[in-house]
Amino acid sequence: MADIESGGGGGHKKGPGVKKSKKLSTRVDLTPMVDLGFLLITFFIFTTTMSSPTAMKLNMPDDTAKDEEQNKAKESGALTIMLSKNDHIYYYEGKLAEDGSNFKSAIFGKSSGDAKGIRDIIIEKKQKLGAEADKDMVVVIKPNEESTFKNTVDMLDEMTINGVKKYALVKISVPENQLIKLTEGGSK
Amino acid sequence: MPKVKIPRKSTHVDMTAFCDVAFLLLAFFMLATQFKPDEATKVETPKSVSSDTIPTKDAFLVTFDKGGRVFVTYDDAEKKKALLGKINADKAVGLTDPEIAKLNKAMEAGIGVPFNMLKSLASKDAADIAKVNQPGIPVTDTLNNELKLWIAELLAVNGGSKPKNVMLKGDNGTNYPTFINVLDAFTKNGIYNFKLITMPENVPSGTYLYDERTSGKKDKK
Repeated sequence: MADIESGGGGGHKKGPGVKKSKKLSTRVDLTPMVDLGFLLITFFIFTTTMSSPTAMKLNMPDDTAKDEEQNKAKESGALTIMLSKNDHIYYYEGKLAEDGSNFKSAIFGKSSGDAKGIRDIIIEKKQKLGAEADKDMVVVIKPNEESTFKNTVDMLDEMTINGVKKYALVKISVPENQLIKLTEGGSK
Repeated sequence: MPKVKIPRKSTHVDMTAFCDVAFLLLAFFMLATQFKPDEATKVETPKSVSSDTIPTKDAFLVTFDKGGRVFVTYDDAEKKKALLGKINADKAVGLTDPEIAKLNKAMEAGIGVPFNMLKSLASKDAADIAKVNQPGIPVTDTLNNELKLWIAELLAVNGGSKPKNVMLKGDNGTNYPTFINVLDAFTKNGIYNFKLITMPENVPSGTYLYDERTSGKKDKK
């Protein structure tokens, strides 16, 4: 490509008096060009953002709606998940018992060892409800003030992963938060 | 015995093919590159399994970082200018036209100062604005939720219609109250649909969504 064959031989006859001109090589050293090429490649590799971010939809309810207009969740299908500091999760099914006996703790993702993963809890709950799961299952997510944005996004993502149709992001109630504080204070 | 003459080979390697490859790769990266846009603050977003692409048209973006600072960005140049003009008039900021133009430019990266600091921000040189450590738009105080006012002004500029895409970009470590305050600022203005900017993540195997996606059904989300 870079070298062009010059003078294919017997093109035109040269007379005896014609001096033969010195044949110069047309071969160009491409090494600096390759160097430059790779330098630019490195530059573009470093500046490029390969994995482009994605958008996750979030729809909030109209909180100006009156209480009586709001959907009432069936107690059997309700699962309340509370998020707290250091990625701790607490949850209870149905209504919170007076003595807090159904208030349990969990971890993010799958179960590992003794710690129960929130994903397995959601799957169990779905199986328990069976065919009614899509209609009756409502997951209420209540992050407290010490949880992070990541916790919330992870939890919302968990809803997508497990195909939970109804879920809501709700403000945590004072007794629930007290119970979390009490549990965290006691476990340390 | 006659000596076998080994022909001396040239050590010169033909670089042409190598050069071709180098420039092919170069061309690929140049076309595939999207430069990182300027940002007023460094934000590391959480991951999600969502696969939707980020809309770029008519997108109002609110960024909140680890420290709870809030920034706004709007990608529509015309409306952005109108928005700044309206805020200038309504909040008596006292900006001049060139100052508005400067802020308009700065808003590409994000503006995160209270209304009363807009003037001092705009009086700086364009190059210096990027270096300013902006305190963020106040959202925590329910009485003085300036983001709410920003959105109210935005709606007014748009003639009451909501921007098509409201995007929220938050850092992993942002505490939840900041996020809910930002959400409140929108819901109080009647905007209920958001897009959270996240990084892609693989769907864990054996889950509902994994089965749905691998079975070829369209993701209904």
